[in-house]
Amino acid sequence: MSQLTLLIIFDGVLLVTLLALAFAAVLSPEPRRAVMLFIAFGLWLSLVWARLRAPDVALAEAAIGAGLGGALMLAAARRAARTSTRSDGGGDEA
Amino acid sequence: MSLDTMLHLLAAVCVTLGAVFFIAGTIGLLRLPDLFSRLHALTKADNLGLGLIMLGLILYAPNVIYAAKLLLLWILVMVSGATGAHLIAKRALRGDGEDAQ
Amino acid sequence: MMPEFLLAMALLLLLTMSAGLVRVVIGPTPADRMMAAQLLGTSGIAVLLLLALALEVPALLDVALIFALLAAVSVAAFTRRRAGRDQA
Repeated sequence: MSQLTLLIIFDGVLLVTLLALAFAAVLSPEPRRAVMLFIAFGLWLSLVWARLRAPDVALAEAAIGAGLGGALMLAAARRAARTSTRSDGGGDEA
Repeated sequence: MSLDTMLHLLAAVCVTLGAVFFIAGTIGLLRLPDLFSRLHALTKADNLGLGLIMLGLILYAPNVIYAAKLLLLWILVMVSGATGAHLIAKRALRGDGEDAQ
Repeated sequence: MMPEFLLAMALLLLLTMSAGLVRVVIGPTPADRMMAAQLLGTSGIAVLLLLALALEVPALLDVALIFALLAAVSVAAFTRRRAGRDQA
């Protein structure tokens, strides 16, 4: 197979999976699952930038979009889960 | 056969073996029944798969700096992967952290 | 022959990454999802390294370094002890 054919298949797989990940993350009902999918989406988008020969954008996307944003969102999702279980369990918040 | 061809052949074999490890790790992640056996499959793919691919690419590498960078990256991935797997296993074992539903 | 071989390997790894995504979506516990995300990061590093040689963009090595860092940071954020529970 020539290099061009391989690259076209590569791009096709990247595109289809990126779209599937985005839909899965947006449509996910549970916050923590959505955050995991968001982290995976950031990794994938960074691969797309790398394939487009834009290593600087890929670097920023991986560090800020997936890393920092993902870690912050994980903390937020944990806090959301904790307050919801507390209000379900009822009244131990002083 | 020249030395260059032999080196390239060796590198191709290493990269292919690494890819095989990644495929095995992914199959293990999908098919194994519980969390700890899946973790076991995952760490093999992490260390050996990436290690073999890295070894192959070091043989392909255009200069010494590139090869040294690859080696440092491999060490970083091994350390962080082992620590991460250990942390996940410990949390899951205690039912602590994010695992507490 | 060399760039084609490296690209074919990168494509193969990309396909295994897509298969591993299934575990992120269905994984019963959050730890399963985190593990799958970790495998995703490692395979992503491998794909980036192969692309760096195949497309001749050496700067992709730095992106791979950031991926390795990202895996460590997200695992640490994920397994952090619950501060509120311990202080109470």
